[in-house]
Amino acid sequence: MIPSLSLEITVLLLGILMLLVESFSRSDDKRGLAKMAIGILSALVGFSFFVDPASGNAFYAVDATAHFFKVLALLTTIVVLIMSLEYSSVLAKYLPGVTPGAGLGEFYSLPVFTCAGLMFMASAVDFLLIFVSLELVTISFYILVAYMRRHTASLEAGVKYLILGALSTGFLVYGITWIFGLTGETNLAAIQHALATKAVATTPLLFGLMLLLTGLGFKVAAVPFQLWVPDVYQGAPTPITAFLSVGSKAAGFVVLLRVLQPFLGVPGVGVKVLAVLALMAALTMLYGNLAALPQDNFKRLLAYSSIGHAGYLLVAVASVSDTKATFGSAGVAVAFYLAGYLLMTLLSFLVLIVVARHSRGDDILHFNGLAKRSPFLAFAMLTAMLSLAGVPFTAGFYGKLLVFAAAVQAGKFWLVGIGILTVAAGFYYYLRIVAAMYWQEPGDTTPITIAPLTRTAIGALTLAVFVFGICPQPILRQLKDGGVSAVQENAGKPPQSADGLRPWGV
Amino acid sequence: MESHAYFPWFILLAPLVSAVLIQLFLRRSRELSATISVGAVCVSLLASVFVFFGPDTVKANEIPWIELPDFHVPIGVTVDALSKIMLLVVTGVGALVHIYSLVYMKGDESEARFFGNLSLFMFSMLGIVLANNFAMMFIFWELVGVSSYLLIGHWHTRDTAAAAANKAFLTNRIGDFGFMLGILMVWSSVGSVVFRDIEHNLRLITADPTYLTIAVLLIFCGAIGKSAQVPLHVWLPDAMEGPTPVSALIHAATMVAAGVFMLARISFLIAPSPNAQAVIMWVGIGTAVLAALMATQQDDIKRILAYSTLSQLGYMVMAIGLAAPGPAMFHLFTHAFFKALLFLGAGAIIHALHHEQDIWKMGGLSAKMKWTFRSFTAGYLALIGAPLLSGFFSKDAILAAAWQTNKLVFLLALLTAFLTAFYMTRLFVVVFLGQPRSDAAKHGHDGPAAMTLPLIILAVLSVVAGYSVIGERALGEHLWENVHKIHHGEGVGAVMALAIGAFVIGTAGGWVLYKGQAKDPILIPLFKNKFYIDELYAALIAGTQDLLATMSGWFDKWILDGLFVRGLSGAAWGTGFVLRFLQIGNLQAYAFLFGLGVVGLIYFLVFA
Repeated sequence: MIPSLSLEITVLLLGILMLLVESFSRSDDKRGLAKMAIGILSALVGFSFFVDPASGNAFYAVDATAHFFKVLALLTTIVVLIMSLEYSSVLAKYLPGVTPGAGLGEFYSLPVFTCAGLMFMASAVDFLLIFVSLELVTISFYILVAYMRRHTASLEAGVKYLILGALSTGFLVYGITWIFGLTGETNLAAIQHALATKAVATTPLLFGLMLLLTGLGFKVAAVPFQLWVPDVYQGAPTPITAFLSVGSKAAGFVVLLRVLQPFLGVPGVGVKVLAVLALMAALTMLYGNLAALPQDNFKRLLAYSSIGHAGYLLVAVASVSDTKATFGSAGVAVAFYLAGYLLMTLLSFLVLIVVARHSRGDDILHFNGLAKRSPFLAFAMLTAMLSLAGVPFTAGFYGKLLVFAAAVQAGKFWLVGIGILTVAAGFYYYLRIVAAMYWQEPGDTTPITIAPLTRTAIGALTLAVFVFGICPQPILRQLKDGGVSAVQENAGKPPQSADGLRPWGV
Repeated sequence: MESHAYFPWFILLAPLVSAVLIQLFLRRSRELSATISVGAVCVSLLASVFVFFGPDTVKANEIPWIELPDFHVPIGVTVDALSKIMLLVVTGVGALVHIYSLVYMKGDESEARFFGNLSLFMFSMLGIVLANNFAMMFIFWELVGVSSYLLIGHWHTRDTAAAAANKAFLTNRIGDFGFMLGILMVWSSVGSVVFRDIEHNLRLITADPTYLTIAVLLIFCGAIGKSAQVPLHVWLPDAMEGPTPVSALIHAATMVAAGVFMLARISFLIAPSPNAQAVIMWVGIGTAVLAALMATQQDDIKRILAYSTLSQLGYMVMAIGLAAPGPAMFHLFTHAFFKALLFLGAGAIIHALHHEQDIWKMGGLSAKMKWTFRSFTAGYLALIGAPLLSGFFSKDAILAAAWQTNKLVFLLALLTAFLTAFYMTRLFVVVFLGQPRSDAAKHGHDGPAAMTLPLIILAVLSVVAGYSVIGERALGEHLWENVHKIHHGEGVGAVMALAIGAFVIGTAGGWVLYKGQAKDPILIPLFKNKFYIDELYAALIAGTQDLLATMSGWFDKWILDGLFVRGLSGAAWGTGFVLRFLQIGNLQAYAFLFGLGVVGLIYFLVFA
């Protein structure tokens, strides 16, 4: 049994160590650094199962949800590092540096810091910690998105992300201050306690919540805060695009679920917030899926698809209620959907990076005839696309099934209706890639070589997509037994006031 | 779970592992693929033997799979008398056929693919046998369809094989569609797909007899397709395009028996519906008679056996309709051995004669292929119901059940028995006796041990499997009681006498007519052309389908495509195109729209 916090601390130390090596090492080849990080992060996935469940406190929850999202964060970072290794040749071209490997070590270390932020966020049950960890994630992303400093698209994406991100952070902090002003608390459990005992004015509370939703809506790319997504996704280095679309989204949703729960039971507030979430869900599904239809660039297509999937996740979030049972089933749906989404999105980006390197471009037409050039890659991409579209026996199908089942339970049939229509649109643009891979003649017939580590990752992700789709019960049972909910009973100490005892002197 | 509860899972998983390994990694290594596949089936066989001697674990050997409100599908196994005997048949015959295939398929360039598909078939078939619910059975049912398709079309470069594979798959799909509707009907009235639950809540569905009859008959459609009953029997003779071991395993002993097995599994549903029983009975006996008539005029050795299989399956289906699942399973059990034996024997002949399948180009093989001849004789005698061989006992039970229920059906069944003796004697005499009628036949010879040994084992089983010592043990108490009751019912003596009479007359007739003939002395075009059913279907399809195709083509082009698809997709695409203009790339505009969104949502949330 190890204290839970030691995981995050190890990740942070790893990041610092990597920066130090980058600064002082004379070697040009930085790939060893990334491989070391992959090894240590993999070991941490194993260690995370031996965490002391009583090592939480008022700031920091140690529960099944936290564990689940920490494992997701670690796995995502591992795959992103594998992608970065594959991508390093492209990256080196756009970096100002004298030696060929200059700056690459930094590129490998920043995702590790992001990972630490994501892991903190999974456990955060206090607005202070939520905010700080969210910023740790976002600031690392600002640098990473603009990392290819000789590439104008990357720089443009970086600026857009920085400005709009700062804007959304402003809204988030402003929302937190409103809620603090109303309840005098920043701890979620304490806020719940305060809302239940004190009389709080509804209108300002709603105002503060909406500001919070703005900040989080930006992170998960929900309409109307999604405009940055296509430009930033297309411009950013591809591994970072993958990280953004998975990591940032997962973080946003775990925080959303945790933040939402204290407010659901407040009369006149819970229902309205869920209505707004349902509206955002509907708009997001429609926007993401319809705008994806005419896209010809695969990265941009995935950006819109990522918006669409945020919509489905929001359907599940909008279907929570304050009773524990239904909150649980919607929470399980969100967690399972995110896990499935992670697998299939990382898989498609991984294949994209390999293909783009060989075909020198990331448009759909660069996938023409992939089945003839590399049946393995084509099959992996086929799996990812089928799963994203939601074909049975893949992770994507089961996730959508759970989401729609949660919506039906909550009586939101119109959301299910819109969801099914947009899924149909999704089939069109996902299968365009499949058609290009299998029915078009390849423009270039050279076979594609794949590094062993990448090959292993692709194989493992493909297998996992099917395992999640064919026998999801073990994972679901794990989630259900843990009880996905915002504030856990075993989260540590009873609610404290804001000026009460603060651990590690915040 | 106790240790014996794991064995059914071993049975199921061993072939799956083999299939996956071969498909993914071993497509180029023939020897290794064959070894793994044979090893997997041996593991299944061993585990089946353990299960057979172990206790029944009908309860609580399942893991939840799909858990939704109102819809639960577990992955679970049923181990009872019915699945135990079927497990033994499938893995036993399967193991022998695998070993036999080692020789038969040697040198085939896609040997690895063949063994991979064979393992896939074993997995699917065992899944049907072990399934404890309709949903799981249906999935494996379809998987059996797929693997059968792959195996029939193994030599897919031959047009006839590819066409036969398509025909088998499509014909089966017609039946399966009914099967699925039937399952949905049962589910919607009982609220569960698990056999155990359906049996417990039987009154929910028996309350409405018409509903029950329709549901049972729809489910029976699945059996019509899989067990090749009239009118969906057309695929089975064509399926003989596949390699002969496949014909023996799939199209004689196991897959086609799945329909009968499924009907026996749900006999508790059939029993309360006399109308459904009557339909099942008439379909069964109809198939038995028609197929036997067609068999009398075929010249291809495998096709004769195929029609004979149809006819025997008709017997079994009829027995289900007569509320006699015991005799049906008994006949399935004995038939699996002697029919697999006959097919493998035919395979040995075809192999020795360089893929010659016309019986008129054989002849005189009794001296050249001694072991094949001896074992084939045992199978032949068992099939035609020679007294004291296995087929005699099981067929007798079915005939007695018919006698006790419906005399007309009994007469037809007796006619079938006579015809069986006749056409099999024709085959036997023409192939093995007389003079060789081709060069190939002059140089016939027995295969190697791996080919002959399965024949001898099957021959022994064909002889002894019908005795009550084995039958009672194999069928289990419950099913055997059913057989026993019929055997001691009314008119057994008369039935036995008539059956022996049919056997003697049929055999003698065949012997006299065909002894020493070099070509067929009688010609009945109606039988030779299989009652023109294929032509009828072709005409039907050409007529109605073309008309329908023209009509639906018009409908598709103007209504569906024009209005719905083009209209809707155009609208969607257009919306997407317009939405794209929001994405103008200007940062100030983005920030402005962002702020607009915030204001809009705040208005909606706080003030609306």
